[in-house]
Amino acid sequence: MKRLIQIFKILELAAVIAIILVFIFPFVWMLSTSLKSIPETLIFPPKWIPDNFMWENFVQAWSSGPFLRYFFNSVLVSISILLLQFLTMVPAAYAFARYNFRGKKFLFGITITALMIPPQITFLPVYLQMSAWGTLDSYVPLILPYAASAFGIFLLRQSFMQVPEEIIEAARLDYASEWQIMWKVLVPMARPVLVTFGLFSFIYHWNDYFWPLVMTNSDAFRTLPIGIAMLKDAEGGVAWNTVMAGNMILVLPILVVFFFAQRQIIKAFVYSGIK
Amino acid sequence: MKKIVVILLSMVLMVSLTACGSKKTVNVGESSAENDGSVEIDFWYSLGGKNGEVIQGMVKEFNESQDEVTVNATFQGDYYENHAKVLSAIPAGTQPDVTMIEIASIGAFAEAGALEDLKPYVEGENGINLNDFVKGLMGNSYWKDTLYAIPFNRSTPLLYLNRDMLEKAGLDPAGPKTWNELREYARALTKKDEIFGFSTPIDIWFYEALVFENGGGILSADGTKPAFNSPEGIEPVEFWQEMIDEGIMKRPPGEKYNAWDVARQDFINQKVGMIFTSTGSLNMLMEQAQGFEVGTAFLPAKKSYGVPTGGTNLVILSKSSSEEKKAAWKFIKFMTSQEQTIHWSKSTGYMPVRVSAVESAEMKKLYAEKPQFKVAVDQLEYAKPRPMVPGYKELQEIIMNEIQRAIIDDSISAKEALDAAAQKAEKLLK
Amino acid sequence: MSLWYKLRPYVMTVPAITVFILFFIYPIFYMIYLSFTSWNLISPVKKFVGWGNYVELLSSREFQQVIANTITYTFLTVLLTLIIALVLALWLNRKGFIYSFAQGAIFSPYIISLVSVALLWLWIMDPQYGLLNWVLKIFGLSPCPWLTHTDTALISLVIVGVWKTVGYNTLVFIAGLQNIPRDLYEAAELDEAGRWKTFYKITLPMLSPTVFFLLVVNIIASFQVFDTVQIMTQGGPVNATNMLVFYIYQYGFDFFKIGYASAAGVFLLIIVGIMTVFHFIFLSKRVHYR
Repeated sequence: MKRLIQIFKILELAAVIAIILVFIFPFVWMLSTSLKSIPETLIFPPKWIPDNFMWENFVQAWSSGPFLRYFFNSVLVSISILLLQFLTMVPAAYAFARYNFRGKKFLFGITITALMIPPQITFLPVYLQMSAWGTLDSYVPLILPYAASAFGIFLLRQSFMQVPEEIIEAARLDYASEWQIMWKVLVPMARPVLVTFGLFSFIYHWNDYFWPLVMTNSDAFRTLPIGIAMLKDAEGGVAWNTVMAGNMILVLPILVVFFFAQRQIIKAFVYSGIK
Repeated sequence: MKKIVVILLSMVLMVSLTACGSKKTVNVGESSAENDGSVEIDFWYSLGGKNGEVIQGMVKEFNESQDEVTVNATFQGDYYENHAKVLSAIPAGTQPDVTMIEIASIGAFAEAGALEDLKPYVEGENGINLNDFVKGLMGNSYWKDTLYAIPFNRSTPLLYLNRDMLEKAGLDPAGPKTWNELREYARALTKKDEIFGFSTPIDIWFYEALVFENGGGILSADGTKPAFNSPEGIEPVEFWQEMIDEGIMKRPPGEKYNAWDVARQDFINQKVGMIFTSTGSLNMLMEQAQGFEVGTAFLPAKKSYGVPTGGTNLVILSKSSSEEKKAAWKFIKFMTSQEQTIHWSKSTGYMPVRVSAVESAEMKKLYAEKPQFKVAVDQLEYAKPRPMVPGYKELQEIIMNEIQRAIIDDSISAKEALDAAAQKAEKLLK
Repeated sequence: MSLWYKLRPYVMTVPAITVFILFFIYPIFYMIYLSFTSWNLISPVKKFVGWGNYVELLSSREFQQVIANTITYTFLTVLLTLIIALVLALWLNRKGFIYSFAQGAIFSPYIISLVSVALLWLWIMDPQYGLLNWVLKIFGLSPCPWLTHTDTALISLVIVGVWKTVGYNTLVFIAGLQNIPRDLYEAAELDEAGRWKTFYKITLPMLSPTVFFLLVVNIIASFQVFDTVQIMTQGGPVNATNMLVFYIYQYGFDFFKIGYASAAGVFLLIIVGIMTVFHFIFLSKRVHYR
């Protein structure tokens, strides 16, 4: 009987490992391909360990386009969005959470409506708008439409609403202005939600392919995902080793961050939706 | 404290947004020339990989050779992608000053008013001698009798052969000369599960070639009615279907130019013995083919030889300032000069666009050493221009889609597919 | 009451509201307006065509296929994702290093860029040299054309979609499972309820809010699929994987039929709108449960 249980346990362990492999294998394959030479990528059945580790593939991928510029753009856009969202989110959430004013329901309704509308619907008209304003192919269409986050306001409002009135009353005695109460009392209290949201927003915009694809045309404003996707457009056969090397460059930072901040990141994504 | 940090960061943000906001301050092109005093123009090109590098080299040479014009060259993807980007950039005001337009789409761009009439530049003080340009390539430069484009990277499709493979199979290394011979050669070269005798992207360009060879046409003479769903237009599709069903022809997977990449890759890896692709890949293929000799030949004939020409012409966009247009013309003049077209042809395999280039000592020497480069030029004798009515830009994709549908799906006959395309054509062509 | 006191809430909300009106609300109306015109982006004239675009859209065989593709893709992706995620959640919801490692591993595809996932799987599904066909060969099966054949292309995209999001769904389920009060299970044990019964009578009902939440979220996300289509198949072969957002993109940016693309956009708006309304009705109900 004990034997059976033991066998069962081993089988189960094997199954868990199998599941892990299903998800890790592709990454290993990516790494393996990124180090091969072109002929090696075209062997079937495939080789796992290349004869020579072609580290130059990474150099090739990086220099296939102005990647430093792409990287800079990704950083600039993601951080700018985060900053602007933060600046617009906090006052708005505070107002919705703690004040009563005429038209509050209407304005909040606008916020909810914006929450419901995904970029896949607005891209065409927003593109035409930007085109008419002459601001296409600049940082404006990449950052401005995301300068406020309905999702963020929604989350933060919940959080602010849960702060007991007494604390705010007490704060009113300590601080002169509402502004200070907002930033010095409520924001620190809502830190978990803010961190959660920040992670969520940053990763979303860092990985965004669709929106920059539509809104930019020139290398000066393209972001990293677009640069990597363009790797496969080289004429004369896709150089999968270069493409995978480029892919590794894109993926590695996030995986490293994930490895260290796994708990937080998972919490951020898993719980932000349920609330 | 935190507030101050936030405000400071926002200020940094605003400053960088405005300062870095202009794409002209970013020197992503190869130019190293100084910006003061010279006119800056944007050139969008649509060849990547090796050929793209040659273009970059030529742009660099132009920028370094003079200081009146600085060209910023940006790679925009393949022909289709570049067209889409140019068209969407025009209303936004972010269009380039000079770009490459695939010959069958020039009518569409011209009709939309996007292109500049080049006659004043040709005949002006900084003009060029149009008579020096190969006649067979000038057809797609005019729309409604106005000159809009100058030939740049021009090509014909070629039949590429793995000469070693042909010899080993006891076949004439000069290749098949007719459709029937193509079929026989493909049979002889095919080794089940290992090697396909023949492969071609199911692309509109090669379809056009087969239709021309069969004595047919794509559109009626006045360009308002479809002619491809005639028996002459149906037979090429059936020819392909038969060879694929027999297992001697491979249909390379992938959309549009991705399929071309697969075909070329298969040829290089000796998984396929013969392919159709552009003469523009000649240099690249010869360099990457390891261990076998690359041969080129006319596309095999049916009723006669016949091919469409291909590639792109250079155009100036009409919305640029007159200063930018003059600068763009200077650039075009350079890129299509005798010296540059010789360099371009040698480095890629595209045909030299000037007669003086074809007959130059340098090219003659190349043709003697590597006769593969001459085949496209010789095939020009049998070449016809691609249809270029504005509706064809969209129609060519519809035809290609329907043909692919017939080839992938056994239940659809070639006739049904082409009739379906012809129906949609009626609307587009009127 | 000072003026400032009265104005304050408006000042605080104005920046955000401006962004929402400018970039979310107004574009919707603009798009609806455009859907009644015919415009090719370049000419200054927008011709009014009334319902013309909608008529063309509904009678277009291509559009019908696009809708069918999108619905099929959504149905398969959501079904497979939820079932696999539920199974994995029940299984991996334990303490222990290997289990937390597994949870992290299956979640990792979710946070990397969809572009990376698309490129990776494009390579894995390469019909000649890809990893998948090699695995098939090991098991003695014949190679599959994956993305390159009309019969298999859509399923290939479904596989990629499931791989990317199943981890997220699993972890949400696990969180939901952990929220089920212990005593319910203890009571079931006392009643000597079997595993299946426990599952049906306790686990599933308690998880139903989570199931419903994931259902709606996944459906909305699947309907919006674009990146994998654009990078892996371009809607092909022969429109086998052409889906709604890509269709709009194609007609807007490749073919320049802005009015027509806008009409398709309105369709998407209606579908997503209905789903989101469901989402919110459900959300407000959940608050009451608490």
